[in-house]
Amino acid sequence: MKIFQIALGILAAIGGFVDIGDLVFNVSAGATFGYQLLWVIVIGVVGIIVYSEMCGRVATVSGKAVFDAVRERLGFRTGLAALVSAQVVNLMTLTAEIGGVAICLQLLSALPYRLLILLAGIVLAIVVWTTSFDWIERVFGYGGLCLLVFAVAAVKLHPSWSAVAHGFVPHVPTQSPVLYAYFAVGLLGAAMTPYEVYFYSSGAVEEQWGPKDLGLNKANAMIGYGLGGFLSLALMIVGGALFLPKGIEPEFLGSIALTAQVPLGQIGLLLALVGILFAVGGAAIDTMFSGAYNLAQFLGWEWGRYRSNSGAPRFTATWLVLLVLGLGLVMTGIDPVQLTEYAVIFSSVALPLTYIPILLVANDRSYMRQYVNGRLANTLGLFYLVVIVVVALAAVPLLILTNAGQN
Amino acid sequence: MTLVQDGQSTRGSSAKLIARVASALLVFALAGCNGGTVDKHALKRDAEKVGSLATEGELMANDVSKGASTKYFVRVHAKELSGAAADFEDSLAKRPTSPGIASDVRKLSKLAGKVSRELEQLHLHPTDRNVATSLKQPLLDDADAADKLAK
Repeated sequence: MKIFQIALGILAAIGGFVDIGDLVFNVSAGATFGYQLLWVIVIGVVGIIVYSEMCGRVATVSGKAVFDAVRERLGFRTGLAALVSAQVVNLMTLTAEIGGVAICLQLLSALPYRLLILLAGIVLAIVVWTTSFDWIERVFGYGGLCLLVFAVAAVKLHPSWSAVAHGFVPHVPTQSPVLYAYFAVGLLGAAMTPYEVYFYSSGAVEEQWGPKDLGLNKANAMIGYGLGGFLSLALMIVGGALFLPKGIEPEFLGSIALTAQVPLGQIGLLLALVGILFAVGGAAIDTMFSGAYNLAQFLGWEWGRYRSNSGAPRFTATWLVLLVLGLGLVMTGIDPVQLTEYAVIFSSVALPLTYIPILLVANDRSYMRQYVNGRLANTLGLFYLVVIVVVALAAVPLLILTNAGQN
Repeated sequence: MTLVQDGQSTRGSSAKLIARVASALLVFALAGCNGGTVDKHALKRDAEKVGSLATEGELMANDVSKGASTKYFVRVHAKELSGAAADFEDSLAKRPTSPGIASDVRKLSKLAGKVSRELEQLHLHPTDRNVATSLKQPLLDDADAADKLAK
């Protein structure tokens, strides 16, 4: 069925755009600046569509995913630096997402948090061990669509639509420009977070796309990430409509669910929690697989869920080890929401090391034959490379200057 | 293409990148310490946060009073908010303050304690509409009081 064929893009986008940190970050941005940062989401969405389409095309034509290109194009030492930074951010994010799954289960059941962390880890391991890649992306991608409840909530909260429209026009506010810049950089970093393209390009290989699937690649990138961006917009609007006028600063996952409960009651709350559960669970799988994909591709191991667990033993062992490490870290009591917000900022620093090799390979005719980048893809690719470099340079100073958005 | 050469030329910058990430991690670790003197700016920020917790609690109490929430959600989320308010109560009671604002800081500490106890009631009675109704006004008053301290 056609609808199932865009599941990869939807899972990559939902796992990437609306993971635990993004959920809180988007609503916080709305609660702090209203609708003034909506334009940043649009810029981020177009950027991730451009680069996902590019790396999906590379994977489709050459059979090579992102870290194959990183290793080949950056050389061993710089490639290794890219690998280490990617794996650190992956592990931070995976840890946060496992915590997010447990928090979500706790909001649904009130059972003890640490018990739910264990349960989340066991369920994730069983699901990934026993379920095919196709079904993983369908279950978590389409389950995450319950998050559309936030779009309904946004409408029901009756925001000022003229103010919303104004938010799509790029501008810098006169008040708190540094904090505004911090949120802008965080939103761009979250939209273009590297594990989305690691997962997406490897997923294209998992699904054994060939040149005949280039249209499917475009559809996945545009519809999947477009949907992720739409959800981000909805989250910012509910933050601006509900929390900003009341002076609420959301810091918990429960606060995000409250934005659906207030206008829609119990059904809104339950849909929000189920949607968050699938989105955060999907993000956990995205990051766990991304970590395993990256290492396997960099070291030239057999990889992929399309092989059996024993058919790619080092790949299987890697995602299992990452899962155990993530479980161990979240068991220490680390705050998942804060952790993933830091992960977003740190991943911003590593963005150029991910995106430059993609742009280089997509322009290499010996790989891509007639499927090399056209003028539009290169213009957009270069524009976003500049954006990425600016984000990478600004991320840590802004983190320090704003005390991670707390000042 | 001479792309491996490009990779070689970026080795120096990758070392700088690692150093930058390491220093940021240090900042991250230090940011976790919620100590230091409470100055006017910190008082304002903490008052805003206490007010935010009270307002969010009122929002939730309002939904509980209408039967528009679920038992488990209220039990867990009210506990989170109550715990955050209790953290403010503790830290504001202990931290040194800049001259001239000590009284306001202690007032805010007491207010945070009150917010924490009210949210604890919501946590203990997550389906009791009467309790929720009785908490709405006090939480709104707390938010107003915090707002005054923030100014």
